[in-house]
Amino acid sequence: MSFNKTKEVIEEGDVVILYLNPNNIYSLEVKAKTFNKKAELVDNVFQTTYGALKVISLVGQKYGSKIELTKGWAHVLQPTPELWTMILPHRTQIIYSPDISLITHLMELKPGSTIIETGTGSGSLSHSLIRVIRPNGHLYTFDFHEQRVSIANTEFDRHGLSDFVTLKKRDVCLDGFGEELKHKIDAVFLDLPHPWLVIKHATVVLKQIGGKLCFFSPCIEQVQRTCAKLICEGFIELNTYECLQREMNVQYRSLPILDFECLKYKHTNENITEKNERRERKQEGKLLTVIHAQSLPGHTGFITIATLPPSCHRCTQK
Amino acid sequence: MSGESAESVITVGIHVIVKKQSFSKVYKVSENGTLMLGKNQKVEMHEIIGKPFWSTFEMVPKHGSKNTYSLKLVERTESWDDLKGELSGQDNRFITDDGTSQRLSKEEILQLQESGKSGKEIIGSLIENSTSFVAKTEYSQEKYIKKKERKYFKFLTIYRPTILSLHEVYFRQNHDKIGGLRMDSLAQILSYSDVQADGLHMLYDSGCQGLPAAAMLNRIGENTGGYLINFHPGNVPQIAIVQAMNFPQELKDRHIAVNIYSFLRLHYQGESSVLDNISSKKITDHIKETQNIEESAEKSNGETKNNEMSQMNIEISELETDTRENIVSCCNTEKGTDTLKRKLDESEEPEETIPAKKPKWFLETQRALDLLNNSKARGLTIIAKEHPLNIVNELLPFLGASRPFVIFHTYREPLQETYMELKQKRNVINVKLFSNFLRSYQVLPDRTHPDILTSDTGGYILTGYLVR
Repeated sequence: MSFNKTKEVIEEGDVVILYLNPNNIYSLEVKAKTFNKKAELVDNVFQTTYGALKVISLVGQKYGSKIELTKGWAHVLQPTPELWTMILPHRTQIIYSPDISLITHLMELKPGSTIIETGTGSGSLSHSLIRVIRPNGHLYTFDFHEQRVSIANTEFDRHGLSDFVTLKKRDVCLDGFGEELKHKIDAVFLDLPHPWLVIKHATVVLKQIGGKLCFFSPCIEQVQRTCAKLICEGFIELNTYECLQREMNVQYRSLPILDFECLKYKHTNENITEKNERRERKQEGKLLTVIHAQSLPGHTGFITIATLPPSCHRCTQK
Repeated sequence: MSGESAESVITVGIHVIVKKQSFSKVYKVSENGTLMLGKNQKVEMHEIIGKPFWSTFEMVPKHGSKNTYSLKLVERTESWDDLKGELSGQDNRFITDDGTSQRLSKEEILQLQESGKSGKEIIGSLIENSTSFVAKTEYSQEKYIKKKERKYFKFLTIYRPTILSLHEVYFRQNHDKIGGLRMDSLAQILSYSDVQADGLHMLYDSGCQGLPAAAMLNRIGENTGGYLINFHPGNVPQIAIVQAMNFPQELKDRHIAVNIYSFLRLHYQGESSVLDNISSKKITDHIKETQNIEESAEKSNGETKNNEMSQMNIEISELETDTRENIVSCCNTEKGTDTLKRKLDESEEPEETIPAKKPKWFLETQRALDLLNNSKARGLTIIAKEHPLNIVNELLPFLGASRPFVIFHTYREPLQETYMELKQKRNVINVKLFSNFLRSYQVLPDRTHPDILTSDTGGYILTGYLVR
């Protein structure tokens, strides 16, 4: 229940983030027992590089506090959607925070928005979407994969988010979103291989006063096909973006500064070596700068946003 | 979403987005208002009142006054697609630019415009009289029409302002005015700050026209339990974009704007100190003026423009006392000067009676402090023109443990320094510095490519989490 409100103290049943260092972040469910690989109920002990952690011992600890481990320490954090996206168990490719941010912004979401997401995938985007639309909005999320739907359902429940989300197993390309959502939706988000097959269904669920449609596609051909379809269905103001986040590593670097002045005059041998050494030591500049990653994700997906005008201003083709 | 039908009509007093093709502008609706488009086009806007959003109007030239237009409601804009010729060329091998392809003279074209012909008619004649149009390829014809459209298109559409559209207006017109805050940076700040419908959200903003505050208030939402505590260094916060969002009063009431100096003094020294400072100020002002000429001049130059006059007097004095104190505490660490200062203050106290009423800004500052004493903030966002280090150091104690902070700056160096200081001296984890690259695309059948121009001014973002 640790996603729906800020908490001071860890309780049993919470999902917490265990932060060892930037490369070792984990999520733990705070309970005494867990199932091992052989499906036997065993003590819930989490192995880290700094020693084992008896997870239930976290109960009563404050969020943000330092936890002593046998060979070091770690911090426990309350999960935010950004932290969750960093560590969630991948069942599919997921969308990361830079793209999630842009998607949310472009769809103009706010508390109270009623929205559709398809497919649910691993629920990375879903957690962020729910944060924005709470407390009076609702997320309808669809996936055609039975197991993904059921795992995501358990996750939302465990995270205390069930009130804000409805999950359905459904192939929306074939079956649409269902009669009950007709003209109820403010924004639709599509992340599936054939977004152009869903456009017609999306126009049915978007409100009469209009709404937004956003889709995420790794391939430009998908974008082209879907954009053509969107224009046919009366969508306007189509824009396609790609956003890459470049992380920088802040570091002190020392730069030797070479001194050539001494070469211009005659000196005794001893003097030169002595002076040079002194200079080199003195003139080693300490520089605070950044190092860029040797490689970074150069492409994630194209994000396209389109607006459906109010029904009286729509202009469909053919 | 409440009251959609009532809200969908344009009324006097609200802000709207006026869009003419890809150009858009913010306009505050008034009974007999006019809007300047471009350099010299004056549009009389009263026709839009009472019409629903999304209405489109034709700009009709007014007789007698040049470059003045009145508006006429239209069903929809005219479609220009049929202007494309039935004939088109394969490529441009037969097109030579000798300046004679347009048979109409400049004067004749001007005459067409003045005769009140519609944009479509004008372009029609331009095409008719162009010797090279038919030789152009289909794509090139489209491009030609698009180019002419920009000049002769005379339709406006009125939209409800949103963060996205307001950002677009400001970013395009003058991105400096909003601190170079590009769409993707703004979007990420909203994510990393964890701003949402409930909790206290702290924002320090010193000059983005209120864009971050408006965007955060939008995410806090109507009829929810969240608060935005908006620190600023000046007399009054910049809130142009907050106002343009037409937020309901109940949400505006949860936007608590406080001067960061007043806030910190109230926190560290208590109510009496702040109030004494106001009352004693008027007299000490003259005595101590010499002490702080430089800094206060700099401050008021930077921060008093565009501000309302009413509150200014009190708050300027407030600010100046702050600057003075900074100087005192910076320059003189010895106790001697402190007592000297106190003596000065004391000697003047009898002359000044205690103020009858606490000013509004004081009550707001008190309210912000009460809220933060009651419960720590859920997130801290800093979008500063100044060096962010001292600001973040002062505001971190008000942030809850396990909660995120995000700092935006146009320059990288101050964030590098802040990064190092925070890592070495504060309990923060997962600290990251990054910048973004945003690229938009032209998507057309067989002609998809990145847009030729892209913004290279995304700024830098530093994020992290506070721990115990």
